Amino acid sequence: MNIKKYLGPLSKDNPILVQVLGVCSALAVTAQLKPAIVMAISVTAVAALGNLIISLLRNTIPPRIRIIVQLIIVAALVILTDQILQAWFYDISKMLSVFVGLIITNCILMGRIEAFALGNKPIPSFFDGLFNGLGYGLVLAVVGFVRELLASGSVWNHKIIPDSFYAHGYMNNGLVSLPPMALILIGLLVWIQRSGSKTEKI
Amino acid sequence: MIEIFVRSIFIDNMIFAYFLGMCSYLAVSKNVKTSFGLGVAVTFVLVVTVPVNYLIDNYLLKKGALSWLSASLGGLDMSFLSLIVFIAVVAAIVQLLEMVIEKYAPALYNSLGIFLPLIAVNCAILGASLFMQERNFPNVAHALAYASGSGIGWLLAIVAFAAIRERLRYSQIPKPLQGLGISCIITGLMGLGFMAFLGM
Amino acid sequence: MKNFSNKYIFIYITVLVIIVAVLLALASITLQPRQNENRKIESYTQILMAAGYSGNEISGRSVIKTYQQVADSVLTDNNLLVIKVKTEDGSHNYIIPLRGKGLWGPVWGYIAVAADGNTIAGAVFAHKGETPGLGAEIANPQFSDEFKGKQLFDENGEFVSIRVVKGGVANSNINPLHGVDAITGGTVTSNGVDKMLKDCLGRYKEFLKKLRQ
Repeated sequence: MNIKKYLGPLSKDNPILVQVLGVCSALAVTAQLKPAIVMAISVTAVAALGNLIISLLRNTIPPRIRIIVQLIIVAALVILTDQILQAWFYDISKMLSVFVGLIITNCILMGRIEAFALGNKPIPSFFDGLFNGLGYGLVLAVVGFVRELLASGSVWNHKIIPDSFYAHGYMNNGLVSLPPMALILIGLLVWIQRSGSKTEKI
Repeated sequence: MIEIFVRSIFIDNMIFAYFLGMCSYLAVSKNVKTSFGLGVAVTFVLVVTVPVNYLIDNYLLKKGALSWLSASLGGLDMSFLSLIVFIAVVAAIVQLLEMVIEKYAPALYNSLGIFLPLIAVNCAILGASLFMQERNFPNVAHALAYASGSGIGWLLAIVAFAAIRERLRYSQIPKPLQGLGISCIITGLMGLGFMAFLGM
Repeated sequence: MKNFSNKYIFIYITVLVIIVAVLLALASITLQPRQNENRKIESYTQILMAAGYSGNEISGRSVIKTYQQVADSVLTDNNLLVIKVKTEDGSHNYIIPLRGKGLWGPVWGYIAVAADGNTIAGAVFAHKGETPGLGAEIANPQFSDEFKGKQLFDENGEFVSIRVVKGGVANSNINPLHGVDAITGGTVTSNGVDKMLKDCLGRYKEFLKKLRQ
């Protein structure tokens, strides 16, 4: 198995930065690192398992109803994720609120299932979902990290910026915790990423 | 109720505050005319699906929702199914609308029809239903006000963005920033602008 | 791709839906007790936080044990629930549950009244879906800490509640002993909290008066 093929989504084929998939539902949870990471893990799990299941079933699914079948499987996985989060990560599940449910409409999931899982064997499909989820999670984590650091001077609820900075007039930037800043950060990330690799513009 | 309507247009704007519907927002905003079409379609579907989902949630799924049927069913809590039901309802209604419009208003279908299939997977639609559930609106009229407000807010955002994007073609932007990069940043700046409405 | 008959499609989708529904129902039933326990922990934590507890005693599952040791539900003369909590310094706080409506959905909280029936010892607020950065700020300690030391009765012994003042207490004619600053940009939520305090605490007026004597 050629592992390199699957690593694309982490950088040069990143689902958010290059394929413009799945920007939708998840940015709202990046105000802090913790919910961003939990969201990233949830999406990765759903993407990998969804791809795996659809790939296993791919020869039995009648093409005419394949979208509905995909929706049912993904929705079931998402509900399961939501229930598990509520049982073991109650605080975070409250922070994520409706955005867990919105994983369903995350274009990455349906996009990868349509483009990859329907035509490939289970194991490669699983890894395809996994790495696309991870590539997506990477962006979430970076945005979450920067926003929490700038907005509250801490990361993962641990103080990072020393008090001496504040003594010299450093201030937390509350603006960064507001939603529009997440978009601007993504824009900057895209800029950085595209300066490095030579991809066609979309 | 008017409060909910106005707030969901300007302050809790689907795009600027919750990033919902970003995929089609970025993809279809190349010119003002098509984005207006998509915006109208989204508003239309929202206004139909949110109240329907509201009724389903309150009379079928919620804990105690079935008590109108018989007292013994009152304790049943099926809210864990709501997600799957909502998305099925959205998909079904979009499909239905497409058929109805095609039959009875072909002119409208020609301008709106191409957008309808896109909408079934638009996060804004499902998002509105989920927010409706979370916010516990007291009656269906509130849900309707919320749905129409969100739809109009979305329409406003995509049309304004498309207008900016048409101008953008003539401006000099660093190459790596073109396309997605500058779009995100502009949307962010527009969002900051919309925050001015917070004082209302 | 093969062609599938309508019968196959029909059976396929039915079987799929049944399998999924059964699996989800199973998951929901097995996880329910744990989820309910989480909700209980949450409200216990909020009650104890209002009474001034912090740190290890109320972290995670140990909160249930602490709660059982120090808290006691009592009913007022007109059958309202009050939670009597022994604070860390040995005195008693009376926790009054609050329920109200914000902009988008329910807001709630617990307010701790000191044994004199007048002074606020602490407060905790929570909400379901208020706008992040605005109305949602009521859950921030910065907001709830403002309540500490405020008083529910004026110098004539009249019940005045605690007002949440838009534009700041300093710029209004409300005595700073009976008012806190509203959240900027969260007017509807702040008004909701204001009304919630007035309505819920108002019902406990007689109980608090009795406590004062």
